[in-house]
Amino acid sequence: MRLGKYEVKLEKKARVTGVEATAISLLAILIGLALVGLIFLQAGVSPLTGYKAIFSYAFANAFGLPLTINRSVFILLCTCAFIVPMKAGLWNIGTAGQLYGGTLVAFGVALVFGAKDPQTPTLAPGIVIALMMLGAMLGGALIGAIPGFLKGRFNTNEIVVTMMLNSVGYWLIAFMIKEGGPFMGGGGEGQGFKLSESIFGPMILGGTFTIPIALALAALLYFVFAKTTLGYQIKAFGLSPSAAKYAGISPHNVPLLVFILGGVIAGLAGYHYFAAVPGVYKIPTNYGDFGDLSFYGIICGLISQGNPLAAIPFALLFGGLTNGGRFVQGQLQLGYGIDYALLGVLMITLVAFQFFYRNTLVWKKLERES
Amino acid sequence: MPIQPVKRGDTVLEARGITKRFPGVVANDHIDFEIRAGEIHAILGENGAGKTTLMKILFGLLQPDEGEIFVHGQKVTFRSPLDAIHLGIGMVHQNRKLIPAHTVLENIILGHPKAGSIPDMRRTRVEIAEICDRYGFKIDLKAKVWQLSEGEKQAVEILKTLYRGARILILDEPTSALAPPETEKLLASIRIMTGDDLALVPFITHKLPIVLDVSERVTVLRRGRVTARLRTSEATENSLAREMVGREVIFRLDHVDVEQGKPILEVEGLSALNDKGQLALQGVSFSVHEGEIFGIAGVSGNGQQVLAEVLAGLRKAVAGRVLMDGVNITRSSSLERWKSGMGYIPSDRIDVGSIGPYTLMDNVLMNYYFDRTFSTWGIVDSRKTRKLTEGLIAEYDIATPGPDTTARSLSGGNLQKLILARVLSRKPRLIIANLPTQGLDVGATEFVQNKLLEAKRQHAAILLISEDLDEVLSLSDRVAPIYEGEFMGILPVKDAKIEDIGAMMAGLKQKVAQP
Repeated sequence: MRLGKYEVKLEKKARVTGVEATAISLLAILIGLALVGLIFLQAGVSPLTGYKAIFSYAFANAFGLPLTINRSVFILLCTCAFIVPMKAGLWNIGTAGQLYGGTLVAFGVALVFGAKDPQTPTLAPGIVIALMMLGAMLGGALIGAIPGFLKGRFNTNEIVVTMMLNSVGYWLIAFMIKEGGPFMGGGGEGQGFKLSESIFGPMILGGTFTIPIALALAALLYFVFAKTTLGYQIKAFGLSPSAAKYAGISPHNVPLLVFILGGVIAGLAGYHYFAAVPGVYKIPTNYGDFGDLSFYGIICGLISQGNPLAAIPFALLFGGLTNGGRFVQGQLQLGYGIDYALLGVLMITLVAFQFFYRNTLVWKKLERES
Repeated sequence: MPIQPVKRGDTVLEARGITKRFPGVVANDHIDFEIRAGEIHAILGENGAGKTTLMKILFGLLQPDEGEIFVHGQKVTFRSPLDAIHLGIGMVHQNRKLIPAHTVLENIILGHPKAGSIPDMRRTRVEIAEICDRYGFKIDLKAKVWQLSEGEKQAVEILKTLYRGARILILDEPTSALAPPETEKLLASIRIMTGDDLALVPFITHKLPIVLDVSERVTVLRRGRVTARLRTSEATENSLAREMVGREVIFRLDHVDVEQGKPILEVEGLSALNDKGQLALQGVSFSVHEGEIFGIAGVSGNGQQVLAEVLAGLRKAVAGRVLMDGVNITRSSSLERWKSGMGYIPSDRIDVGSIGPYTLMDNVLMNYYFDRTFSTWGIVDSRKTRKLTEGLIAEYDIATPGPDTTARSLSGGNLQKLILARVLSRKPRLIIANLPTQGLDVGATEFVQNKLLEAKRQHAAILLISEDLDEVLSLSDRVAPIYEGEFMGILPVKDAKIEDIGAMMAGLKQKVAQP
């Protein structure tokens, strides 16, 4: 294509460096924000005022920041739960169902050990907390094992199975917490019972103890996929199932394993939000919103190209924008859904800009034709 | 510019100084040649000699950095293949670009401007049938493409370009996937086409005798340059190979005599199904001894692939037993087989034998990740892997910038060298080599064959599956022609006559019972 004195050419690129990837992502975010700025203008609000309000609430406000971090940790865990099967070339669209399953088992454990408010647990609180976490991982693993097993054995489409299990999990929780359900809370408000205070997830330096766990998990996954034979086998299966089979990697076991691991991590996400975030400590009426929030894990996993460390800043960004977007909507009296519009546009620009991971624009000055 | 009528011998396509550079390589370096009407002009070259680039430039898929192309004496610039098609240039791809679920007729008219949005099927069928008659293509226009053999699919590709009015046909490796009788049919059609003053430009890497047989002129490329321009009548198989490779090539390998030891692989009454659930391997029995190469010769699709996969543990047997060192391994997994000293060189290098996006190091690891000496606590010993990979690259002379390059950037010959290096470096006692030289150029073929002979000298038992009868006969000690999943006999190569084996590959059982 010609632009004035220059010729612009599109060329294929072999690989992308970390610096380039960061620059491309930042550019995508800026352009996304600029586009949404048009919506602010249309609503009669200066984009600068709007963004200042969003970011200052999300990242520099005593009320907003903890909310942002709790959401970001949740999204990061869901991202990890998506990434593990993604490395094996499989789509885990079922983090919602898996986190519901994990949450149910965790709260079941609490109930069994008498940790329903206002009772006091029958075991030491530390042990009950550990058992609840194990329960959350087990519950997620059980739900995750279903698509994994079906995929490995019968090559069933994992996307369909995981999506259907999201509904199963949703209604299972509804059955458990609504009127007459075994996990019903007091007051008939359609929410689950509250946990005893002694088994609230402990806090470290003012943050939930699940923050370091999520960060360590992301680092661990990065290491597993970069350095270990396990990661090697999962990635080999994802890149070429037939070559992996030839290399002696079981085509039955890899899908089962990655979905169990994904379920375990999603179960932890459920534990994190419902049992460790201050002010929650129960399965709330709007638990379905968190199932929806878990879908940002998919976007985050795709944008970070399956790199769990690169996913951390994206999780923080999405956590902050869902939080800040909702806040300004009320504060600046914008139309309903501005937060979703913002996230939607950002996702599209981020995904669209991945084009430049593989292609690059070359500018060449045209020589005068003699 | 309309397509002009041409006389036999007129220059229809001319390239002058075609140069194309890619980062780090000059793929085409000032290439000149002329193509004349009514002539077969073969372009010969090893993998990586620049054939593909040149082909793409002639068909408008790539634009040259320098140089000019003339069609019928007029200078042209191709912006896309459409420009080339309009000037009567047709391309017959090696990887068939046809829709398997559609009929032959539908594939031929697909996207054809003449067919219009509502194709007049009756008229087009008559027109295409005329072309078929004229050039001797016997093909059922109502058949679905997936039912066709490779040769028939190629005929469809040729018909497609002819129906679009192509007068200059570029053929990419036209005979590489064809069985001998199909090759004969294709050559017959090609001769009629040249009689009709069409120009044919086959691009060829291997099967040199066929080139000598049909073409009038040959242009040989090496490392992006033209190294020879010959009339075929002046060339010999050896002289062409020398021009392509840049050194003498020995076509006949000396037979390696090694004292044979105990049987390593014993197969008893083995049967298995193919992907369609048909019995593709029917009660095959044989054994392979230490220091022996056991060859299986056959036309593609006669159960060799199924046999190789069953032996490698990648496919289940429905009957029979496989013993390795006297131990029944019929139900063992592939991994157990690799660990106990079996090595497998799969026929599909790209989808099975390697992982394209993985680095060469990670590809080498495919045969080592399970080896305890290459990991501690499940963490890969990357220093050791790198050292091994670098060693293999040097020993096998693999052309690559280094162990961190991706496997997909390797040429076919280098990729096969990598697979071979990886498998042989484990010093397997049993090697199953499935079509180890298929699609390789002369130099790489020679290399692979020598490596197999070297393994034989080190007393490995080798099962060689090949569609190239010359290869089987020059390498193996015993040969079993396979036909529809059955061995037609097992005979020592010393006593074998090539005609007899040819007949057995076509389904004739050995007359004398095996002693």
